[in-house]
Amino acid sequence: MRVACFFVPMFPLAARLRSEPELLHEAVVIVEGNGNHAHVVAATRRARKQGIRPGHSLVQARSILPKLIARGRDAACERTAEDALLEVAESFSPRVEDAGDGVAFVDITGTERLFGGQRAAGSGQEGNPEAPPAARRPLPAEHQLAAAAIQAIEAIGLPARVGIAASKLAARVAAELPQTPTVVAAGDEAKFLAPLPLARLSPALEAAAMLQRFGLTSIGDLARLPENEIASRLGEIGRELHFAARGIDPRPLIPRALPPEFREGMELEWPLVALEPFVFIANAALDRLSKRMEIQGFACKRIEITLTLEPDGYDARAIDLPAPTRDVKTILTLIRLDLEKRPPGAPVIGFTLVAHPDRPRRAQLSLFGPAALSPEKLATTIARLISMLGEERVGMPMTVDGHLPERNAIADFAPPPPPDTRRPPPRARGLLAARTFRPPIPVEVITDGQKIASIRGENIEGAVRICSGPWRIEEGWWRDVPASREYWDVELWGGGIYRVYCAGGAEGWFVDARFGV
Amino acid sequence: LTSGAELIRALERRRRDEVVPTTIEAVDRLLEGGLPRGKVTEIAGRGARLSIVVATLASATSIGEAAAFVDLNDAFDPQLGEAAGIDLRRMLWVRPNSLRQAVAAAEMLIGAGFQLVALDAGLPPLRGRVPDAAWVRLARAAEGNGAALLVSAPYPLTGTTSEAMLRAEASRARWRGGLLTAVETTLRLEKHRRKRPGEGARVSFHVEEA
Repeated sequence: MRVACFFVPMFPLAARLRSEPELLHEAVVIVEGNGNHAHVVAATRRARKQGIRPGHSLVQARSILPKLIARGRDAACERTAEDALLEVAESFSPRVEDAGDGVAFVDITGTERLFGGQRAAGSGQEGNPEAPPAARRPLPAEHQLAAAAIQAIEAIGLPARVGIAASKLAARVAAELPQTPTVVAAGDEAKFLAPLPLARLSPALEAAAMLQRFGLTSIGDLARLPENEIASRLGEIGRELHFAARGIDPRPLIPRALPPEFREGMELEWPLVALEPFVFIANAALDRLSKRMEIQGFACKRIEITLTLEPDGYDARAIDLPAPTRDVKTILTLIRLDLEKRPPGAPVIGFTLVAHPDRPRRAQLSLFGPAALSPEKLATTIARLISMLGEERVGMPMTVDGHLPERNAIADFAPPPPPDTRRPPPRARGLLAARTFRPPIPVEVITDGQKIASIRGENIEGAVRICSGPWRIEEGWWRDVPASREYWDVELWGGGIYRVYCAGGAEGWFVDARFGV
Repeated sequence: LTSGAELIRALERRRRDEVVPTTIEAVDRLLEGGLPRGKVTEIAGRGARLSIVVATLASATSIGEAAAFVDLNDAFDPQLGEAAGIDLRRMLWVRPNSLRQAVAAAEMLIGAGFQLVALDAGLPPLRGRVPDAAWVRLARAAEGNGAALLVSAPYPLTGTTSEAMLRAEASRARWRGGLLTAVETTLRLEKHRRKRPGEGARVSFHVEEA
C-alpha cells in the first residue's frame, strides 16, 4: 500500500488565515487559554522573525511586539479548514482518513497512472526537444501527484506539505519535513527515518525523551538496538517505538464516510449589528463553500444559516433553492433578503453556513430542435428574480377553474425538454387580450336604467358611447362571502374599451380590464 | 444541396430560424417575417399591443421554445393566454414592480438563454424610469445571446437601440347585436433597419366566445 500524508503546518493559524486572508502578511499569533493563561500556539512568519515562539505567553509576546495581532483558536474555522482539506484529498482518492489537526492520510495505491506524463515543472525545458534528457524526463508519478496535491490545497487557501511512503507513520514524518514533497521509496522507510532525530518519530510519547537521555539521538540509533532489550526495559511503549523506528506501522488506513453536508463558519472578534458587514464575511465563506462543492461536483440545494447571538442563543434558518446551484451571488442575495425580512434580533458573534449538496441538473441539448435552457443557469436566474421580486411574482402561469376574470395562479417553472425537430408555428388565433387590472380600479358610475351613462376613476373618465351588459357572475356561494357581480363592456366617447363590474352589497363599482391596448 | 427546390427550402428554413414569427400575418409582413433574433423590436402606442405580445408568446412556445413575459402591469390573464395558444409550461411569467426591475429582469432572462423575452411596460403613467444606457445594455445582451426581445410600451422607450418599431394606433371596437365582438388596430412601421418605414396594416383581434 502507498499512503500520502497531506499536512497543513501550524494548522490553527492556517485555518484562521484562510478565513481572514488579509492577515497573511501581518504579525499574528493564535493563542489558547484566557487572561494570563493565554499562550501562543502558532505565529506568522513576521511574528516569528521578531522572536515570538509557540509556548510564549501572550504577555511575553506583546512585550516583544506591542502591535501584535492576537486571535483565539476558532473551532469553526478549524473544522471547516479540515473539511476542505479532506475534500481536496478525496479528489485524489476515494480512501481518505481524517487524522485531525490539518492531517489527512490518502490511500494512493493504483492512482499513479492518473498523474503521469508531466515534465519537471519550472525547468523551462518542458517543450524543448533539444534540452538535456534529464530535463525532458517525466517526473515520477508520485512526485507529480504530490505536486498536484500541494497546488490543490493551496488553491483552497491552506499551505501544504505532502509526504508519500508505504506506511502512515513514515508518510507523516515525510510530510512534516520542511522540503516538500518528500517521497520515500517502498522498503526504504527505515533508511529514510534513520538519520532523523527521535523527536520526529512520535513526539507524544514520553519514552522518546527518555531514550534521548539514554544517549540515543537519532531514529537509526534506536532501530539498531535489539527489539527484546527495548521491550524488556520500556514495556509495550518501547516495542511500539522500536517498530516505528524501523518504519513498521501496523495501523490500517480507516477511510471516512462522505459528508452529507458542507460547512463553513467562524467566530467573530466583535459582535455585528449591521447587515452589510455580515454579508461581506458571509460572501467569503460562501465562496469557500462553492469551491469545495465544485471540487466534488456538487451544487447547493439548501443552505442553513446558524447565527450565534450575544449574549447567548442562536438564530437558525434555512433557505431552499429552486434548483441546485453554486452561484455565490444568488445564494448571498437570498440570505440577505431572508435576514432583511427576519432580522436575528441580537448582535451576531459567530455563524455557520451548512450547504446540503446535490448533483447539478444536466440536460441533453438537441442538435436540430429549438434551443433548450441550461438548468443551472435557469435555476440561478429564477433564484435571482425571486430574490429581487418575491416568490409570488416569478413562475409559470397556471389556469384556475372558476368564473372571476382576474383569477390566476403561479407554479414553479420547469419547462419540458424541447422537441427534437423544429416545426413552423401554427397560425395565430387572433384573440383579443384584455389587460387585467390587479387590483381592480374603483370607479364612480352614473347609470341610466340598466345602462351605464358615464364612469370616473383613476386615469379613467368619460361618457359612455356604447354599453353592453349586464352579465351576472356568481362564484363561491358556499363561502361566507360569495362573489356576486354584474359585468358590462363599455366604450367611452373619448376612446377606451373597459370591462366594468358592480360588486354586490356596498362594495361599489370597479373597472377590472381594458381591451385593445 | 442538389436542387433549386432544396435551396429554396433551406433558405426558407434559415429565414424562419432567424426570426420569431408573431403568426399575425400583417405584423409579420411589416417586420419581414417576425421579430429578428438577437435584436430589439418595439411596439409603441395606444393600440392592441398586448394581443400582439400574447400571439408572439404563443408562436414561440408552440414550437417548443422557452419564452419569458415581463409583465410590468400584472395584466396577463393565464386563461386567455392558454386559449390563444400559449404553452404555459414553457412560459415564465415575471411581474416586476417598476420599469427598472423590468429591465433588470429582462437582462437576466436573456442571459439565462430564453429565446424570446417580451417586456410589456403596461399603460401610462409608467412606473419609474430607466436611463437610455439600460436599453443599450439590453440590446447588447439580446445580440450576444441571440434572443428576440419584444418591448411593448405606451410610447417609444428604446430609442436608437431597436431594430424595428411599430406604432399601434388607438383601437376601434366592433359591436354586433349589442356585444363587443372585435377590436381593430392600425399598425404603422415607424422604423426598420432593413426596410423603408411608413408601411401600415390593419389588424383585427376578436373576442373569445364565452
